[in-house]
Amino acid sequence: MAQLVGPLRKELADSLSSCRVLVVGAGGIGCELLKNLVLTGFKNIEVIDLDTIDVSNLNRQFLFQKKHVGKSKAQVAKESVLRFCPSANITAYHDSIMNPDYNVEFFRNFQLVMNALDNRAARNHVNRMCLAADIPLIESGTAGYLGQVTVIKKGQTECYECQPKPTQKTFPGCTIRNTPSEPIHCIVWAKYLFNQLFGEEDADQEVSPDTADPEVAWNPADAAARATASNKDGDIKRVSTKEWARSTGYDPVKLFNKLFKDDIMYLLTMDKLWKKRKAPLPLDWTEIHQLGVFGYIENYVKTLRSQLIEKGEGAELVWDKDDPPAMDFVTAAANLRMNVFSMNMKSRFDVKSMAGNIIPAIATTNAVIAGLIVLEALKTLNSDFDQCRTIFLNKQPNPRKKLLVPCALDPPNPNCFVCASKPEVTVKLNVHKTIVQALQDKILKEKLGMVAPDVQIEDGKGTILISSEEGETEANNNKFLSDFGIRNGSRLQADDFLQDYTLLVNLIHSEELEKDVEFEVVGDAPDKAPAPNVPEEGKNIANGNKDSAQPSTSSKAAEDDDVLIVDSDEEPSSSTMETSPESSNRKRKHHDADTDDAASKRKRLDQQPADDDEDIIALD
Amino acid sequence: MIDTIEKEENLISEEEAAQYDRQIRLWGLDAQKRLRGSRVLLVGLRGLGAEVAKNLILAGVKGLTLLDHEQVTEKSRRAQFLIPVDADGQNQAQASLERAQLLNPMVEVKADIDAVESKLDDFFFQFDAVCLTRCSKDLMVRVDQLCASRNIKVFCGDVYGYHGYMFSDLGQEHHYVEEKPKVVKGSNEANDGPEAKKPKVDPNETTMVKKTVSFCSLKAALEVDWTNEKAKNSLKRIPVDYFLLQVLLKFRTDKGRDPQPDSFAEDSQLLLQIRDDVLETMGLSSELLPNTFVSYCFSEMAPVCAVVGGVLGQEIVKALSQRDAPHRNFFFFDGLKGSGVVDYFGSK
Repeated sequence: MAQLVGPLRKELADSLSSCRVLVVGAGGIGCELLKNLVLTGFKNIEVIDLDTIDVSNLNRQFLFQKKHVGKSKAQVAKESVLRFCPSANITAYHDSIMNPDYNVEFFRNFQLVMNALDNRAARNHVNRMCLAADIPLIESGTAGYLGQVTVIKKGQTECYECQPKPTQKTFPGCTIRNTPSEPIHCIVWAKYLFNQLFGEEDADQEVSPDTADPEVAWNPADAAARATASNKDGDIKRVSTKEWARSTGYDPVKLFNKLFKDDIMYLLTMDKLWKKRKAPLPLDWTEIHQLGVFGYIENYVKTLRSQLIEKGEGAELVWDKDDPPAMDFVTAAANLRMNVFSMNMKSRFDVKSMAGNIIPAIATTNAVIAGLIVLEALKTLNSDFDQCRTIFLNKQPNPRKKLLVPCALDPPNPNCFVCASKPEVTVKLNVHKTIVQALQDKILKEKLGMVAPDVQIEDGKGTILISSEEGETEANNNKFLSDFGIRNGSRLQADDFLQDYTLLVNLIHSEELEKDVEFEVVGDAPDKAPAPNVPEEGKNIANGNKDSAQPSTSSKAAEDDDVLIVDSDEEPSSSTMETSPESSNRKRKHHDADTDDAASKRKRLDQQPADDDEDIIALD
Repeated sequence: MIDTIEKEENLISEEEAAQYDRQIRLWGLDAQKRLRGSRVLLVGLRGLGAEVAKNLILAGVKGLTLLDHEQVTEKSRRAQFLIPVDADGQNQAQASLERAQLLNPMVEVKADIDAVESKLDDFFFQFDAVCLTRCSKDLMVRVDQLCASRNIKVFCGDVYGYHGYMFSDLGQEHHYVEEKPKVVKGSNEANDGPEAKKPKVDPNETTMVKKTVSFCSLKAALEVDWTNEKAKNSLKRIPVDYFLLQVLLKFRTDKGRDPQPDSFAEDSQLLLQIRDDVLETMGLSSELLPNTFVSYCFSEMAPVCAVVGGVLGQEIVKALSQRDAPHRNFFFFDGLKGSGVVDYFGSK
């Protein structure tokens, strides 16, 4: 009979105390995970997190107390763990995992990496580092009551990027500026307004009526009427919103009148928009106080104005959902706009959820997922990859009574643009309108997950388009791709040396991209709308409420624990169907060993609200 | 501007609103208030107990009493994260108290060093929910019976190596609410095709639906008759863990302890013997529970405690807050397979 050390076989127990593991993230999942690792017998643990502790973390990140608010999560987590396990060897880094110090050599120090992240960018990055270092990676995520764990091993399983994942949906400019139909449109508008007035102005965040709206069907005869309607306070079209606001001294009455009266009246002149929609109703300053607490917008404007003045010349405020005046302002502005467009208004609580992309989170979900991570970790240390599983945590048991659903891991996608032997991708864009900077920032970094790309044109001369060395190719930034002879069918070689990743980018020139769309990655999943704030089981909670890797406490961030695609799926799939571009989920063939009957499958579909159909794995 | 939802009835402090924000956004303010008024008894502070304690304290119950008569040993201390390293020899509940309290100062956490067997009936009546770990079958049956009469929610749970279970008895009539998306009457526009047939669901509006469900006693759940035809036919879809639980509970009753790694050989033999006896008494074949089980049910696996403690903790939260459908009435977790199953045993 086997020798046991506690509940484990001796050989396993021994390898636990000698191996080194890396935990990326010390938040909801991370705290639970660190605790589980040391109690299970892991001795050498390194943990990294760029974030600091916030009071809203305390309902679940149990290694932190109120007195720790503001301190480094990684550091405090380490200290708390050492208190109940002083013999553990823990190294904490208050840093971003995307820092080039954490190169392939760094990753090679570990036998296992476990992610406890909340954003796509970092997940993509760690995925690539682990592929490059050939170290197994355990990936996980939670949102509300739902969670998921999976194992990634180069050459044996899918990598994190093998299946395209939907990106956070952005709304078309004309919806935000002209024809909002849901509270979220008004909230996005209010956030844009905040930035236009007090923060960093962004050409993609216009708040004034959009005359280029294709629905408007511009009629030259109307031009004069429009021009007059918009000219109340100087020519709005020529002056930036911030400059104009400054010129009025951020006068709340003038601001209010422009945004909620004059601009609305202007929209009304675009009568084609209102043929099938309820027309907006301009507000009057005298009515404002009938709108309850949102009428106090003038106070918030004054507070923000003071903050701006305090900061000095050329200052900018940064949007932060946890900064009360900023949140108050957005709540008021959004609600006034909802009022204009005849929508039911929303409480500050609800606006904060939507504006801040807050994902509700509790301790128990994270506890379960972190337990599953360690169980998978034990298998990977034994190299029992055929025993490893993707496990889904549902809110309610499925028709086969399973609350925790293990599924077999899928083999790598031979066409994966990351882990294939010669990764390739095709991008559609307009070579005359895309500048090099956009290629670097929006396409290679944001979309394709590179951190520090180097790009050459495959033109026989190896012309260098982008260098990761700062300043080297700065002169190219504002030039158009076509200026370099790039045209339809051109190919670029993009390298990220940190990630040890080379990607061949095929370019297709197109002049027919949708409005507001700068580029398209061919074979991509469509954009997903942000999930409504009532998480239901089986619902596909977006893969990124957070696409960027900024810490939660910074303004640019969205929020909290991210989740992988949560499928309410069944037990072992022996094959994966191809992902069609129309579906945002992977489709699986079901082999129900127990009952194999269609009736139980149909029953499950019926349990979901109709709208969820596109979110459920299609059961054929 | 303060969030009006919270200030309306002045029933939740700013501190609570800030700390519980992320969970209030999940289960709502009403549920949080009910939690805030609930008192819970937790028996047994080993690996599983500590997990449940953590989860309930973080959730924000009114009070949690930690009851454990045993003393801290090096082994028991290493099984959980609440006991300080210098506490060997102290009472387990007492030693866990300080760190438990620090998890959330807004909860009243108490320690009780008595043996649960010595407690009189009315001791239990001061609680809204009782959670029993590491208890004998007889004790659990007794407590379940006396709590049923008082509408006190009863929970049992244990972890044995890679396996764990949770049982709940929420009484004959447990009322709860579920939040469902509001279905809106279809519009007048001419909609062709499949869209017209679907009721329009407004993703932003929801409605609360009231439901009621009943639970049987632990006694009934453990004394299912397997000799009749219907029961025999259902065996194929029954989680084998149910029978494993019966074996382990019998071991605990007979030996006064759980299987120990130190006496692995002797305990394994006994486990196999008990398996044969238990299944035979039920009129079932020994093959139902293959011999391999003995290798994986010794001691408490920390990650298994985390999983079972998470599910159990959430069930207690659900029952106290009366929100969302409770799992009925057993949850079994197999840490080797990673599968977690909910199933009902007992009189329907």
